[in-house]
Amino acid sequence: MMLDISGLYASLMHEVKNTLGLMSITLDGVHPTGDPEHDAPLNETRLLCQRVAERLQQALLLYKAVNGQLSPMVDAYSPADVLGELRDEAQALVRDRLKVTVRIADDVPLIWFFDRNLVEMALVNAIHNSIQYARDRILLEASLDDGALCLAVKDDSDGYPEHILECVRNDQPYRSQGTGLGLQFARLVAQAHADRGREGELRLTNEDGAVFRLLLP
Amino acid sequence: MSLIAFGKAETDIDYSAMRALVVDDYPGMRSAMRIALSNFGLTKIDMSANATEVLFKVQHNEYDLILCDFNLGDGRDGQQVLEELRHRGLITLDTAFIMVTAESVYEKVAATAELAPDDYLIKPFNAEILRHRLDGILRRKLAFADIYRYFAGGELEKALECCDLLIKEKPKYIVDTLRFKGELLNAMGRFEEAEALYKQVIQMRAIPWARLGLARTLHMQKKDEAAEELLHDVLEDSPELVSAYDLMAEVKLARNDAREAQAALEKGAAISGKTVRRQQRLGEVAFANGDLDKARAAFSAALDKGRHSIFVTPADYGNLCRVQVEQGDMNGALDTLKKGKMALHSSPEGQLVSAVVQGLVHTKSGRAAEAGRALDEAVRLRNVGARADEQSMLDLAGVCMANGRLEEGDAIVREVARNAHDSDALMAKARQLYEATGRGEAGDQVLKEATAEVRRLNNEGVMLAHKSDYAAAVECMLAASREAPFNPRVIMNTAWVILKRIDQEGMDHDLFAEARRLIEEAGRQSPGHTRITGLRSHLKQVEGRFGIHGSKKK
Repeated sequence: MMLDISGLYASLMHEVKNTLGLMSITLDGVHPTGDPEHDAPLNETRLLCQRVAERLQQALLLYKAVNGQLSPMVDAYSPADVLGELRDEAQALVRDRLKVTVRIADDVPLIWFFDRNLVEMALVNAIHNSIQYARDRILLEASLDDGALCLAVKDDSDGYPEHILECVRNDQPYRSQGTGLGLQFARLVAQAHADRGREGELRLTNEDGAVFRLLLP
Repeated sequence: MSLIAFGKAETDIDYSAMRALVVDDYPGMRSAMRIALSNFGLTKIDMSANATEVLFKVQHNEYDLILCDFNLGDGRDGQQVLEELRHRGLITLDTAFIMVTAESVYEKVAATAELAPDDYLIKPFNAEILRHRLDGILRRKLAFADIYRYFAGGELEKALECCDLLIKEKPKYIVDTLRFKGELLNAMGRFEEAEALYKQVIQMRAIPWARLGLARTLHMQKKDEAAEELLHDVLEDSPELVSAYDLMAEVKLARNDAREAQAALEKGAAISGKTVRRQQRLGEVAFANGDLDKARAAFSAALDKGRHSIFVTPADYGNLCRVQVEQGDMNGALDTLKKGKMALHSSPEGQLVSAVVQGLVHTKSGRAAEAGRALDEAVRLRNVGARADEQSMLDLAGVCMANGRLEEGDAIVREVARNAHDSDALMAKARQLYEATGRGEAGDQVLKEATAEVRRLNNEGVMLAHKSDYAAAVECMLAASREAPFNPRVIMNTAWVILKRIDQEGMDHDLFAEARRLIEEAGRQSPGHTRITGLRSHLKQVEGRFGIHGSKKK
């Protein structure tokens, strides 16, 4: 009997991912004591746990995307709700080490059409990246850019290394691990959101820090 | 740019008085969820490991929210649980139902908003995400409270008004509201308005449910060519959209392309084979196409997936056995009866189906004495009021005829014909029974006589109603429904003319009670028929106008 190795890997990853999810929700139940010796490793563990789970989730989705199965389920969602949810999640992860805020431009409509789960996964990846490198603050921002919804993650870090910016500019695959996988995923998510012939877009720039923009038509 | 302070802009949700049910086959996940929920302030949290437990718990408690894992241990999935809860009226639209799934790509678009969960949560998620999603759903439920109340009470006009109001007052919910409104319009038979509505949504964005909704209204208006074209495009864009295959099959059938209908159902079943009704439909279409192997596989799957499900009835056992007998697999048919013994013996209908299949098997096997005993048993059951589905009844008629009991056979055919005079498929099957025993002419005569009176009364009643002579129409239709007490079209027409007459001439309590009974009967005979919701709504309106309180029995 032939062993279906890729199927085996996929189900193994599923199981690991679910166990990690369980671990993460269990860790959420451990409350900080105010003692840094207790809280610091706890916070670090929660973050690590989420990052691993998220990585696996992306890997599974990339696997599907490679097989042509990544078709977004678009419906109407509130950009403000989505960013609010991500803000609270991020703030809970960093406790008071960083300040996470949301800004919604006045012209952003109450609802927009996208696959919330895919878009959140792409943004969460950018947020976790910022959590690692930001000094004091992370800003989640929604605005309109030439008729497309622009969801941005901005931090006050030193910014993206030049080779990553280069890759995005030239639409090349990312080589570096971790961040590269997440960005590849974000680009796929952006491109999967097409409307009336216009595709979504991933833009990375260095401004006051690293700026990650997902444009959704 | 404006900074938004979250949690302040909208009403806070108070969880302390709520009751929740957590459904997951993994104990670790259940307890983690319970801890998370209790941190939100919930104190009443129940837990279930499988579908059977859920149904039991929900019958005994009212839940404000249900968190249900999609993959459940006992062969049923979360979507089946949700559909069963809704169909049995065990939860209302006020209950928040959240599907938890490990899949990032999943069967998301349920056929209707009513059968869709309120949200999907993808594992892994943490407490903050859960809290945000719950807050969002419960706020939406609050905004929809009036719409749901009127909808549940059958007051569809009022529900429509509330939709329009909500669109104005809470534009954030415009798309959700339009989705619900589209389904209301369809249920009320206002297809042109529904068509315009779906086109309006598609103008905003061609989201799958709006395109499906549009295709459905086109099909209801018999614009099947346009519906087919649209569905073709939808499936090209989203080949995983299972409910589009179901609708495509109905459209193909309407265009007399039964082969293509079967192909569409097969594709849907390949993606999601657990849905009992998809397998049942596939079985029926394949059987009509003479594709016995496919029919057998589909009917078997329906029984297999639908164990303990309300969507499985004795007719499903009859369907599978009929294919097996047709294939000459008599032992297979008897085996099916044996496996279904528990389910079949618990109702007169099931016992009747069982007797019919035995009669069929023994007749085909040339065992006259056994066939006779099975027939006697069937006759006894019929005499005490047992009724089975029309296909089984015609099988019974066939067995009677094959055993020389012609008059009993004719009587059964007459009864079926009266109650299904507009079903071409059943009439054709009845004709075959006669041709098989060399009595083709006698058969034509029986069918003609049996349906003539019903047909005449029904046509006349409808004509009178169109001339607004509701008094005469009611007399006519009452006579028709005495002739054909289980004929869905006749009893729906009768209820309709009664309600129209009351609208015109004022209350008549006896007639009103009859209309209520007929609508209930129509719901039993033709569950989910598009006219029933509209009739119930009409009944409620009349009730409201004359200050009658609906019967509380459920």
